[in-house]
Amino acid sequence: MATTAVPAPTRAPRQRPPGSRLKLRNSLIGWTFILPNFIGFAVLTLVPVLILFYLAFTSWNVFGAAEWVGLENFEKLLGDRTFHTALRNTGYYALMHIPLTLAVSLGLAMLLNTKLRGVAFFRTVAFFPYITSIVAIAVVWNMLFSPESGPVNQILMALGIDNPPGWTTSTTWAMPAVALVSTWRDMGYYMLLFLAGLQAIPGELYEAARVDGANKLQRFWNVTIPSLRPTTFFVTVMLTIASFKIFDLILVMTDGGPGTSTLVLSQYIYRKGFEEQQFGYASAVAIVLFAICITVTVVQFLVNKRRNA
Amino acid sequence: MKRTIMMSAAAVAAATLVLAGCSSGTDTDPGGDGEVTGEVTITLAGWSLSTTPEFQILADAFHEQSPNVTVELVEYDATEYDTQMIADLAAGTAPDMYVQKNLKNFVTYQDGGQLLDVSSVAAELGDDVDGVDAYTVDGVTYAIPYRQDAWYLYYNKDLFDAAGIAYPDGSWTWDDYATAAEDLTAGLTTAGSDAKGTYQHGWQSVVQGFANAQSDGADLLSGDWEYLVPYYERAVALQDAGAQVDFGTLTTNSLTYQSQFGTQQAAMMPMGSWYVATLLAQQASGEAETFNWGFAPAPQFDDSTTDEPVTFADPTGIGINPAVDDDVAAAAMEFLTFVGSEDAASALAEIGITPAITNEAVTETFFGIEGVPTDELSQFAFSTHDVRPENPVDVNTVALQNILGDAHTAIMSGSVSPADGIAEAMDRAAAEVG
Amino acid sequence: MATLTLDRPQATTPRPERDARNRRSLVGKVVLYAVLIAAAAVIMLPFFWMVTSSLKSNNQVFTVPIQWFPDPVVWSNYVDIWSKSDMTTWLKNTLILSVTVTFLQVFTGSFAAYGFSKMRFRGRDVLFLAYIGTIAVPWQAYMIPQFILMSRFGLSNTLWAIIALQAFGAFGVFLMKQYYDSIPEELSEAARIDGLSEYSIWRRIVLPLSGPAVATLTLLTFVNTWNDYLGPLIYLRDRDLWTIQIGLKTFVSQYNAEYALIMTGSVLSVLPIAIIFMLGQRYFVQGIATAGLKG
Repeated sequence: MATTAVPAPTRAPRQRPPGSRLKLRNSLIGWTFILPNFIGFAVLTLVPVLILFYLAFTSWNVFGAAEWVGLENFEKLLGDRTFHTALRNTGYYALMHIPLTLAVSLGLAMLLNTKLRGVAFFRTVAFFPYITSIVAIAVVWNMLFSPESGPVNQILMALGIDNPPGWTTSTTWAMPAVALVSTWRDMGYYMLLFLAGLQAIPGELYEAARVDGANKLQRFWNVTIPSLRPTTFFVTVMLTIASFKIFDLILVMTDGGPGTSTLVLSQYIYRKGFEEQQFGYASAVAIVLFAICITVTVVQFLVNKRRNA
Repeated sequence: MKRTIMMSAAAVAAATLVLAGCSSGTDTDPGGDGEVTGEVTITLAGWSLSTTPEFQILADAFHEQSPNVTVELVEYDATEYDTQMIADLAAGTAPDMYVQKNLKNFVTYQDGGQLLDVSSVAAELGDDVDGVDAYTVDGVTYAIPYRQDAWYLYYNKDLFDAAGIAYPDGSWTWDDYATAAEDLTAGLTTAGSDAKGTYQHGWQSVVQGFANAQSDGADLLSGDWEYLVPYYERAVALQDAGAQVDFGTLTTNSLTYQSQFGTQQAAMMPMGSWYVATLLAQQASGEAETFNWGFAPAPQFDDSTTDEPVTFADPTGIGINPAVDDDVAAAAMEFLTFVGSEDAASALAEIGITPAITNEAVTETFFGIEGVPTDELSQFAFSTHDVRPENPVDVNTVALQNILGDAHTAIMSGSVSPADGIAEAMDRAAAEVG
Repeated sequence: MATLTLDRPQATTPRPERDARNRRSLVGKVVLYAVLIAAAAVIMLPFFWMVTSSLKSNNQVFTVPIQWFPDPVVWSNYVDIWSKSDMTTWLKNTLILSVTVTFLQVFTGSFAAYGFSKMRFRGRDVLFLAYIGTIAVPWQAYMIPQFILMSRFGLSNTLWAIIALQAFGAFGVFLMKQYYDSIPEELSEAARIDGLSEYSIWRRIVLPLSGPAVATLTLLTFVNTWNDYLGPLIYLRDRDLWTIQIGLKTFVSQYNAEYALIMTGSVLSVLPIAIIFMLGQRYFVQGIATAGLKG
């Protein structure tokens, strides 16, 4: 930690009188904390992202000049049926994936936040899907979901369901199948985040609740959930964004098919940009995706802030 | 507010900075101080170099002929080749020459001004070089093809014998093929084998490539795709009859065509000419089983074309990055002249590749490879065909192919009928493209 | 510092109903283990398939019906992968990248997070939203402008590109900030009264309390860098610079794909992460955060 050599101010304020000098000082100190990360972030991420915002208003196709076209790309989006399909599919996926993953990963975290023997093993197992090669994931799950020879449908038929779904080969069931697999894949990741959050809850809060006669469920609702709010906020925001950006799993599992039943926004961006060379148009789609994510995030941010206040 | 304005101003400035510099990419070529010694090193982009020896063979054969010029290979990813190349060209870090791996992306480079005019090289080439037209736009040629694949019908002679069915004779239409597939399946079942009559891989090319090449008045770019319907009806009927693995099983089990034909799961398989070399290599290594096989011309739309069977496949050519210096460009032109020569074709045929020239000498070289089926029909299929490019060169080709790709999975998975699926694709094409 | 203690009582007081509880909890434990083991088996299925596929020949990998056990067992893939590929180089590069990126991300991320969480200044929330905002933009969309920019800096086709790309992401800042937010404000306030500078508060109070968050960030950054495919694909062209994920892809060529070798490589590449995870997860034992305060 060599950077702590930054000259530390000799006097710390005893109280916080409102004053512009203090505010300025605080701002400066605040910025010194942020700066090492911000420089890299601004140059390498923020600038390209801002360029993208500019490109959305151009007809850029990578090689030619970026000609300003105003809102043309966005107007075209309004009438683009495939874009609407992708938007709908993405929303549908997010709607299934977000609550399911939240519940499963929080459940796992609660379950594996004990001093159970072998807990290290089970935690590693829960995390394994996240580190397993995505090609293997797609292959095995596709196989498990195989309409005729797949184990999933064989079990369903054994349970008396005569007409089990076609899963990834059916336009109706492909998206739920992808959402299920992706929950299975992500649960260990979000479990880890929840596990870290659970560590921050002071033990005596539970003790106090127990003394007050609260049962397990009450302790969960009244201690765990409120104390976990910063983590839950983080997980929800990340999960929402990740859900709307879903790309690689779709690509390897269904590639958008059958038909356009699992075509999602990120894939549409890739198609329009890298395959069809309409980078300006692809940028406009990216901005729509961004706008959705940021709206959801700001809403969550405000809700979270009000609850904290 | 002020900050946001400043930020957007900065973004615009940065954007212009980044974008303006795109085409002016100055490619410094290492060791390119050619003027002193007369030696030039030029770079060529290829992919999967360890498993795709064709680039090294061209480079070596050329170096032997013109010792002053060394062609150095730069490795790209096989599946993300175009993504990487687009990024490199945009940033000015691309090699001196690059292979046009996918014809459907050629227009991107051509239209984007990323290919040097090589018409002078094309003018010197012999008439027997296939595929030059595909790289010619408004009379200007932008790349020189070195290989021109073609789709054949591969068949397993042992399985045909077991089922008691006569081998293809070069006169087959698609209906003959479908009948044979069903008869084979029945015959194989009787013979106690669970192999299917045929295997059509899941790619859209397998159905659409033939339809586009063979149907009367077929034009992918027209957006009028009625002619695809009979081809789809036949493909769907084949899987419904059990003469072919159904699409759902194929995708959910990630079947590979190499293993379906190579381990004798199917008696026939329409596939590109590249599979000859793969099958030979796999039989030699033991990955594929040992059996007698051959390849016949692709089944035809009707029997009017059996003298010169119509099939499809895209050529593979090499183009030059316009950012190169003059001496590099001259050396690259020299290399391209070699690429389109019979010497290059023979060198490629030796390793089982179907070169852009398939004259008698090249055919002889190809069938001299150990293990290649040397029956007359295979030789005929190799040397005589009218091969149409799968992807006509046009800015809309990729968008249209994407729409057709969606239709393909929808129809083959049984989600829609062939007629409805094609009708929907035509609607989309009309609304979204053009 | 001594003004606040958050540690929970270590021993629970004996209760009369303890025996009955123990019996009930024994049954509960058996059921729990049964469920956990069954779930573990299902979860590990794809990994199991990866392992068995790595013991097959290429044409046996995808079959109908699925072949769960290789016959014959092909051990040679595990020998071939070292001779057929530069596995050693790829491992080395991936390790260099993962370690560097993780260090930078954890360090700059946790440092910046303090500014966002514990300092109040104008524009803080807007800036923070900008951070989150960039997460919401799909990378495919701004990949090319970024690539052009990096190439202008001369970074493309060097390992630095990946380091620069991954090390300053918004993810670490966000994660650490959220964790800092849950650390009681009174702690830093008390330290301020004791005359500690903000930097000392970060280093001596907030950071030591953030063990689980730092561990999480370390693990996730490490895994993400280790498994990143698209970044190295775009930026690294020289064979000597390839990472494992790029290397594995070279077993897929246009005409044939070495699926068995891909799976062999995948198994080998997962193992180091699994071990690191096994070691790292012990930081998630309840009580460790508050126990750190006791001294």
